[in-house]
Amino acid sequence: MKNKVSMSEMDAGLAIYLFKNKFKKGAVKFFSMVLILGLCFTIVYPILSLVPIVFSSVEDLGNPNVIWIPLEFSTVSFKAATRMIMPQGIMTMVKSVLYAVGIMVLQVFFSAMVGYSLARVNFWGRKLVFGMVILVFLLPRQSLLLAQYISFVHFDVLGIMNLFTKAGEINLINNPVVLVMLAIFGFGVNQSLFIFLFSQFFKNIPKELEEASLIDGCGFYRTYFRIMLPNAVPIISTVAILSFVWNYGDTYYTNYFNPQGSYMSTLLSSTFISANKDYVLNALRTWYDVPVATDLAFDAVKQAGALVFLIPLLIVYLIGQRKLVENMENSGLVG
Amino acid sequence: MKKGRKKLSFRTMWKIHGVIFVSPFLIGFVAFFLLPLFRTFYYSFNNVGVGDQGGMTFEWIGIQNYINLFTTEVTTTNTTMARLFTEENSTMLLSLPLIVIFSLFMALLANQKFKGRAIVRLLFFLPIILGIDVVMEMLTITTGGGTTLDTGSNLLSGSYVTIFLVRTLNVPMRILYPIMTYVENIFDLISQAGVQTLVYLTALQSISPSLYEVAKMEGATAYETFWKVTIPSIMNITFFVVIYTIVDLFLKSSIAEEAYAFAFTQGKIGIGSALSIVYVGNVILVLAVAALLLRKVVKKNEK
Repeated sequence: MKNKVSMSEMDAGLAIYLFKNKFKKGAVKFFSMVLILGLCFTIVYPILSLVPIVFSSVEDLGNPNVIWIPLEFSTVSFKAATRMIMPQGIMTMVKSVLYAVGIMVLQVFFSAMVGYSLARVNFWGRKLVFGMVILVFLLPRQSLLLAQYISFVHFDVLGIMNLFTKAGEINLINNPVVLVMLAIFGFGVNQSLFIFLFSQFFKNIPKELEEASLIDGCGFYRTYFRIMLPNAVPIISTVAILSFVWNYGDTYYTNYFNPQGSYMSTLLSSTFISANKDYVLNALRTWYDVPVATDLAFDAVKQAGALVFLIPLLIVYLIGQRKLVENMENSGLVG
Repeated sequence: MKKGRKKLSFRTMWKIHGVIFVSPFLIGFVAFFLLPLFRTFYYSFNNVGVGDQGGMTFEWIGIQNYINLFTTEVTTTNTTMARLFTEENSTMLLSLPLIVIFSLFMALLANQKFKGRAIVRLLFFLPIILGIDVVMEMLTITTGGGTTLDTGSNLLSGSYVTIFLVRTLNVPMRILYPIMTYVENIFDLISQAGVQTLVYLTALQSISPSLYEVAKMEGATAYETFWKVTIPSIMNITFFVVIYTIVDLFLKSSIAEEAYAFAFTQGKIGIGSALSIVYVGNVILVLAVAALLLRKVVKKNEK
C-alpha cells in the first residue's frame, strides 16, 4: 500500500518533470523560430519594399496612400533603368556575365594549381610562399592601387616594350588584358583567399590517391589533372560560385583598370551617383514623357537597375546555394 | 645505389613541377605586390611630378609628405587625416565584435533542425549577394539629402511596440534610443556577415555529434554544452573569421579612395603614396593586435 502511494507520487513528479521539460523545449523552439522569422524578414524586407516603388508609375511615387500595391502598374522605371545600364540591350548583361565567367575560370584554374602545389609538393621555400599568400590576403588591395595603376599606365616588362613601341612602354589602362593578367597571376578579386581554400582542401585528400596514380605510371601533371582535380569538385564549385559573384559585382578592378569597359556593375555605380541625378531625371522626362519626375523617381529607377543587375546573381545563387554549405564542409577549412 | 639516385632525381623533379605550378603566383607577387609596395614606399619620400617628356620626375624630400599629410592636407570631405583614421578605426573596432558574434548567432539558428530549414538557409546566405558594395549602394535611398537604406527601420520607431514601451511602461527614450539604433542598423550588420555565417555554419556542422551525446549523458545543460563543447570546437575558426572580418572591413574603408583622389585628382602622387603607406601600417597594427589577443584566447580554450 505504502509502496503504491510512493509510486503514484513518483508518477506525478515524473509527469511534472516531463511537462516542464516539454514546455521548456517548446518555449525555446518558439523563441528561436520567432528570431529566425524576424531575421529572414529583415533580410528580405529591403528587396520586398522595392517592389511597389519600382513597379508603380512615376506619378504615384510619394503618394502617401500607396504603400504596398501600386495604383497603376507600370514598368517605366525598369525600361529607363535597363536603357541606362544596358546600353547595348541584353548584350551588355551577356557581356558582363561572360566577363565574370571568364575571370572565374582563370581564377579557379590558377588558384587550384597554386593551392595544390602549396599543399602537396614539398618544394623549396614552400612555407615562404604560403606566407606570401597570407600576406597578400591580409593587406587590402587598395593600398597598392596607386603604384599598380602607375605601373599599368607605363607598362613595360624588363624593357621588352622597347621592341614594339617608341616610348618603350604601353598604356594598359582600359585594356581588359590587365584584368586577365591579374587573374592569371593570382591577383584577381580575393584570389589569395581562393588559393588558401584550395590548399586547405588538398591537404586533406588522402596520400594513397596520389601514390596509387604514381604506381600506375602517371606523372605529375596526369596525377594532378586526372586524379586530384576530379576529386576537388566540391571546393572548385564553392570557389567558382564565390568568384562569379564577386567578379560580377566587382567595381574596384573594373572601375580603375577598365573604366570604359561598360560592365553592368560599373555602369550601375557610375550612372546612379547622386551627382548624376539631374541627368537621369531629364532622361526620364524626355524618353518617357513624365514631366513630374522627382527625386523619388530617381530612386525608383536606381533600384529598378539594382534589381535587373541582381538577376544573374540570384540565378547562380539559387542553383549553387545548396551545394555551398555541403561543399564548405569538405573544404578542409573547418576542423 | 642507382635506385637511390633515381628516387632522388624523381623527388627533385616533383619539386620542380611544384615550383612550376606556383610560378604564376610568384610572378604576380613580384609584379603586382612587391614592386608596387616598394614603389609606393619610394614615392612617399619624394615629390613626384610629371617630366617634360612625359615621364615621372622625383625629388627626394624625406618625410615631408608624411608631415604634410597630417598637418596641411585634408580629405575630399574636408576632414583632417588624423580624424579620418580615428573614425575608420573606431567604427571598425565597434563593428568587428558585432559582426563576429552576430554571424555565429545566425549560424547557430540556421544549424537547428526545423521544418523549412532549406528556405531559411536560402535566405540567410542571401547577404553574400546583397552585401556586394554596388548593390548596397543602389538599395539606399537618396531622397531628402541624407542617404538611408529603407530596411524596415522606421517599422520599429513608429511601431506599436515602441509606443507601448514609451507610453505605458514609461521606458525612457534615453535607454530606448541606442537599442533602437542598433536594431535599425541590423541590415547593415547582416549584409556584412554573409561569408562569416557560412563559415561558422560549416564549422558547427563538423562538430562530432558524439561530443554532444557525451555531454547529454553527463547531464550537462544546454548552456554548459554550448560553453564547454560548441565554443571550444569553433575557436580556431573564430580566429579565421575575425581576421577575415578585419580584412573585409578595411577593404570597404574610404582611405584608398582618398589616396586615389590625392594622386590623380590633385596630382600629389607623393602624398597619396604616403597615405597608402600609413594605411598599410594601420592594417598591420590592427591585425597584429587582434592576432595576439585571439591567440591567447584560443590557447586558453584548448587547455
